[in-house]
Amino acid sequence: MEDIIRIKDLKKQFGKNKVLKGIDFDLKTGERVVVLGPSGSGKSTFLRCINRMEEPTSGEIYFGNTLITDKNIQKMRQDIGMVFQHFNLISNLTVMENLTLAPVKLKLMNGETAEKKARGLLRHIDLLDKAESFPASLSGGQKQRIAIIRAMMMEPKVLLFDEPTSALDPESIGDVLDLIREVADGGMTIMIVTHEMSFAKEIATRVVFIDEGKIIEEGTPEEFFAHPKTPRVKEFLEKVL
Amino acid sequence: MDNFFEKIVELFTTPEYIESLLHGFLLTLQISFFAIIIGLILGTVIALVDTAQKSRWMIIPKFICKVYTTIIRGTPMALQLFIMFFVIFAIRGFPQIITAILAFGFNSAAYVAEVIRSGIQSVDSGQTEAGLALGLSRFTIFRKIVAPQAIKNIIPALGNEIITVIKETAIASMVGLYDLNMAAKDIGSGQNMASYIVPMFVAALFYLAVVYLITFVIKRIEKKLRESDSRV
Ligand SMILES: Nc1ncnc2c1ncn2[C@@H]1O[C@H](COP(=O)(O)OP(=O)(O)OP(=O)(O)O)[C@@H](O)[C@H]1O
Ligand SMILES: [Mg+2]
Repeated sequence: MEDIIRIKDLKKQFGKNKVLKGIDFDLKTGERVVVLGPSGSGKSTFLRCINRMEEPTSGEIYFGNTLITDKNIQKMRQDIGMVFQHFNLISNLTVMENLTLAPVKLKLMNGETAEKKARGLLRHIDLLDKAESFPASLSGGQKQRIAIIRAMMMEPKVLLFDEPTSALDPESIGDVLDLIREVADGGMTIMIVTHEMSFAKEIATRVVFIDEGKIIEEGTPEEFFAHPKTPRVKEFLEKVL
Repeated sequence: MDNFFEKIVELFTTPEYIESLLHGFLLTLQISFFAIIIGLILGTVIALVDTAQKSRWMIIPKFICKVYTTIIRGTPMALQLFIMFFVIFAIRGFPQIITAILAFGFNSAAYVAEVIRSGIQSVDSGQTEAGLALGLSRFTIFRKIVAPQAIKNIIPALGNEIITVIKETAIASMVGLYDLNMAAKDIGSGQNMASYIVPMFVAALFYLAVVYLITFVIKRIEKKLRESDSRV
């Protein structure tokens, strides 16, 4: 399979705080990469550099064969979806407007098509009756599932998830994971930061472990969870499993 | 007490006095109205520059805005008024009312800018990120997402600023403008009206009426905005 994202020596620092210390990483179409690591190791920063929610300090990120720059990033973001920990539904817009704003504004489809598509997706996640509601009236699980289909509206080539279930109550976690599973089964290329270990094991085609701003181990979930190579990962797994 | 009522009757039966008061009131309204318009426009521009994304082109404009608001907010309004009258517009024949409008307008702009800036910055950054991640332009994000949310924080504070300007224009009398405040003082010092109490009291009612009206309108707008927030 071809590489959809290639990252070369990515570094990011906030002031003097060196958060990413040289990350090399390739993502192939159809892969589902789970990013693990201790708190503060730079997982979010890593993900956020890919769609330039954070400006990298140095290094190169290619999307397909194109080097991502400040100039072309806006266009690239149409193909790189992101799902946030805190959902980030737009609070002054209805659910329907949340879903249709970007695809219509960016002329990916006309209003009618977008609404039809949105309705289909809403029906699929059983929230069609919320189409005209505002986000404030929804539960966390509902918000996150809508955030996921909002990303899907753009028909992205990659979907980045940053701890999509960390802000949810235990009951809604299952619904959100089911939806992510379904998106994965549909063949979406995925990168996900999560603390849900059993879900990670199940969904990953590859696991990447970040510690102190570097990828210190990666492998298939079988290798990674059953036979960790580094003491750091062994220690981490003992704690979380 | 009889004397007091006599004076009230006298005030409202002497055409010159009524004329003076209305004339002063009109001038106060004129200065306030145009100063507020200038303040809103200039203040919005400053706030937009201030909250714009940092880039090479914005360094100097941002710096100018910073200096401007710092000076305006760090010096007394009365002093700014004097400087406008006796230094910057010390031109013979230049209309005093325009000088006053500019002085109050330039002053208000700094405060309006602050109100709008903090309104914009109080919008959760996750809202902007959501727009960015979807590939929307900064302009679209501002227009469709940030501005509508910021307005809700801005309107009440802006109402306060408008009220402040109206009351503050009273110091225009210090440079000899015949505004409402001056009219009250003038009538009070008149020969027949040997007391300041009545005209001052009436002037106060005029100010109060305007402030009350504006408070009322702002409350209505706030309520409208809140309704659209809780639509389910
Ligand atoms: N916008 C920012 N400004 C300054 N420092 C930041 C910023 N974002 C992250 N950091 C710092 O970068 C480091 C890594 O943060 P990051 O959020 O990437 O970690 P993480 O691995 O996602 O952690 P967690 O599991 O807690 O989410 C932390 O020390 C954090 O304080
Ligand atoms: Mg994180």
